Amino acid sequence: MEKLVEELKIKMVDTLNLIDITPAEIDAEEQLVGGKLGIDSIDVLELVMMIEKDYGVRIESKDVGEKVFASLDALALYIHQKRGEALN
Amino acid sequence: MTGVRVFITGAGMISAAGEGIAAHRAAMKEGTCGIGPLTLFSAPNPMPVGEIRDRFEKGYLPRTHRLALIAASEAMQGVSDPPDAVIVGTTTGGMLLTEELLKQGVREPDRFRYHGLGTVAQLLADAYRCTGPQLTISTACSSGTAALKIALELIRSGKAHRVLAGGADCLCRLTFHGFKSLQLIDPEGAKPFDRDRRGMSVGEAGAMLLLQGGSEPPENALAEIMGCGLSCDAYHPTTPHPEGIGAAAAMRDAMADAGISPDDVEYINLHGTGTRDNDLSEGIAIEAVFGEEGPPISSVKGALGHSLGAAGAAEAILCALAIKESVMPGNVGWKTADPQIGPRPIASSVRKDIRTALSNTFGFGGNNASILLGRAQGSDGRAQGKSGKDRIDQKGGLAFRILGTACFTGAGDFTSTLDQLERSGDCRGQLSLSEISEGLSPGVARRMKRLPRLALALGMRAWRAAEEKDPLSGPPSGIFWGTGWGPLSETHDFLTQLFQSEERFAGPTDFIGSVHNAPAGHLAAHFMAQGPNITATGRDVSFEQALMCAGMLTEKKDGPFLVLAADEYHPELSPLFDPNVGEDPAPSDGGGAFCLERAAGEASKGLKLIPGFLGAGAVGSEGIAALLDRMISALGGSDRIKADFAAILAGIPAHFRKEGVDQLGGFMERSGFAGPVIDYRKAVGEHAAASAVAAVLASSWVQQGKIPGSLVKEGFLLWGAESDFFCLDGRGILLLGLGHHVSAVEVMP
Repeated sequence: MEKLVEELKIKMVDTLNLIDITPAEIDAEEQLVGGKLGIDSIDVLELVMMIEKDYGVRIESKDVGEKVFASLDALALYIHQKRGEALN
Repeated sequence: MTGVRVFITGAGMISAAGEGIAAHRAAMKEGTCGIGPLTLFSAPNPMPVGEIRDRFEKGYLPRTHRLALIAASEAMQGVSDPPDAVIVGTTTGGMLLTEELLKQGVREPDRFRYHGLGTVAQLLADAYRCTGPQLTISTACSSGTAALKIALELIRSGKAHRVLAGGADCLCRLTFHGFKSLQLIDPEGAKPFDRDRRGMSVGEAGAMLLLQGGSEPPENALAEIMGCGLSCDAYHPTTPHPEGIGAAAAMRDAMADAGISPDDVEYINLHGTGTRDNDLSEGIAIEAVFGEEGPPISSVKGALGHSLGAAGAAEAILCALAIKESVMPGNVGWKTADPQIGPRPIASSVRKDIRTALSNTFGFGGNNASILLGRAQGSDGRAQGKSGKDRIDQKGGLAFRILGTACFTGAGDFTSTLDQLERSGDCRGQLSLSEISEGLSPGVARRMKRLPRLALALGMRAWRAAEEKDPLSGPPSGIFWGTGWGPLSETHDFLTQLFQSEERFAGPTDFIGSVHNAPAGHLAAHFMAQGPNITATGRDVSFEQALMCAGMLTEKKDGPFLVLAADEYHPELSPLFDPNVGEDPAPSDGGGAFCLERAAGEASKGLKLIPGFLGAGAVGSEGIAALLDRMISALGGSDRIKADFAAILAGIPAHFRKEGVDQLGGFMERSGFAGPVIDYRKAVGEHAAASAVAAVLASSWVQQGKIPGSLVKEGFLLWGAESDFFCLDGRGILLLGLGHHVSAVEVMP
């Protein structure tokens, strides 16, 4: 899980072109959308695409989306669970 | 009756609901739903769309162009005189064909000749022998209404009597997958204002109107365009302002423009896309303007889908029909009221005599437009709105005072460009992205590729240049942006990812960034500029179009505004789309920006920019001679040209070299002008915003009273004698655009 969180931090900086932020500066427990990273609904959709592409996990509904993107930890957990389900 | 009124004397329309006015009249009465499966191209997870089926044959013209032509031929039925101007709202142009060509790996520029958004207006102008202005407005989903607004003001100003205006957009992969990536498409088909709505249905349409000015309605008038309002949320690239402040402002502006009050509005045609956010904020805005007991409302997008740039024109026609036929269309798809939205739509068509109808269209970039239609009746029973006189003082002429400027060329910013010109006269090339981005905050710039950064940096610099001279109060009163080709990096990256993933992945950020008006949206958000936000496009005269729009949409009481144009060179797409760039070994891009305010007239003091003339499409030597004579006359005649201008900066796009040089010869002969003519594209490079750069340089030279000797030399001179130092002697510079389009802009001391 921890590895996944670290990986997501790097991918997030890259995907969202967060030029003035390093992965290490991101707090995985912090509120993701509307927090100090300046992430909004368009960024969430960009992350949805990245997660489907890189992890094969689809995040469809907006309601699920909001919960999933509560924090980076929550996102990692969701990806972890979905991939586990897929393996079983 | 003092002002000129504007009437719809012809209308034509094709959409998923049918072809022709008669078919739409029936569809609106019966509540036919045209939304169904996507068949135009394959998609991994197709969603319902408003597709036009089997109604017209395949041909060499792109689909959007054919839709526009079908609609125009109906609107122009029985009319033999050419319109004075053609104004088209569109967002896709030849995109559907371009997508197919790119997928096939086609690399011949000639096959992409219909890519540009401006080619739709060009096609219509050529078809109806219009040699007046061809304007293309691309303000996303409000384009069609914005085009009608410009037409309205053009007629009110007396600069045109009859204008063919409207919108056209066809379904294409870019918009379909783009909206899908934003999760804005309802898998069951759009159900606007319904509690369970999940999004829109992308549609397609061509809708054209023939508008005519007069003091009393002509016999064949379908309806009157009483007024139109434009505003910008200046809030977010895609999400409307949650309280609908921009939407409310546009509706209020439309009513003020028509001189009527909310109580006089008898029907509202909603933008009503079916997305959660749009419908919610539109409902709030309507309640704010009209109260709890407002007029009947309905959206036709559950029946037709959302035809993007065509929607505003299509719905203006449907409102005209509603007035003429006394039938308000129903809100197809609506079943359950949304407790969060106050106003409820009429589910099916209602027979009622209505005299006025307001139609809303809102788009990306927070662009809002609201148009008010009224029954074509004699002036007795009609409220008196604004007239063209408020906007253009015929006696004083239209002139802008230059408060600040900025430009980017291959040499750098304004100062570096001037220095480089003094030294060698050659400013071609491209600035690095980091040089352009200097001064832009990383948080803002992270979602911008080359063109929006150019635009934002230019706008900020021109505004700052004005502020350094004299502090400005408040944000720009309007933003008038021109671009020949739009954001090519975003377009390229979106399509590349889409095709590489076999249509599985589409980038939402690139989609939002790919629309031509995205840079103008960024400018609005940066400045909190909530006035008109216009994007004009059309190859090499995009800047001139933006300037003309500023003339139509600003008033003397308005504060300073921005007029700017920029284009980016994209290594893959520019050589395919822009036939001029392949003819110069130095890829170039950049742009120019002005902070302007309305001057008291041409004779007023101070450095001024004056939109002089815009025309195109003249055929044969006689046609060209007539066009040139019209331009000379618009500039005040040959004596005035000889007396007031010291030099000409001529922009002749490389691909139109022969035509342009011939036109210049004709102009020199007919005007008798004998000063130097400088070929500015040799200095700033071949790109569609070259004229904006030239205008900025000209304003600096007019202020200094001289032109650098390096440019009055062989290699740059098209006419006149070489000189080491060219003094302007208190006179101005005339900027000529030649080639397919013919334009004139004056820079006067």
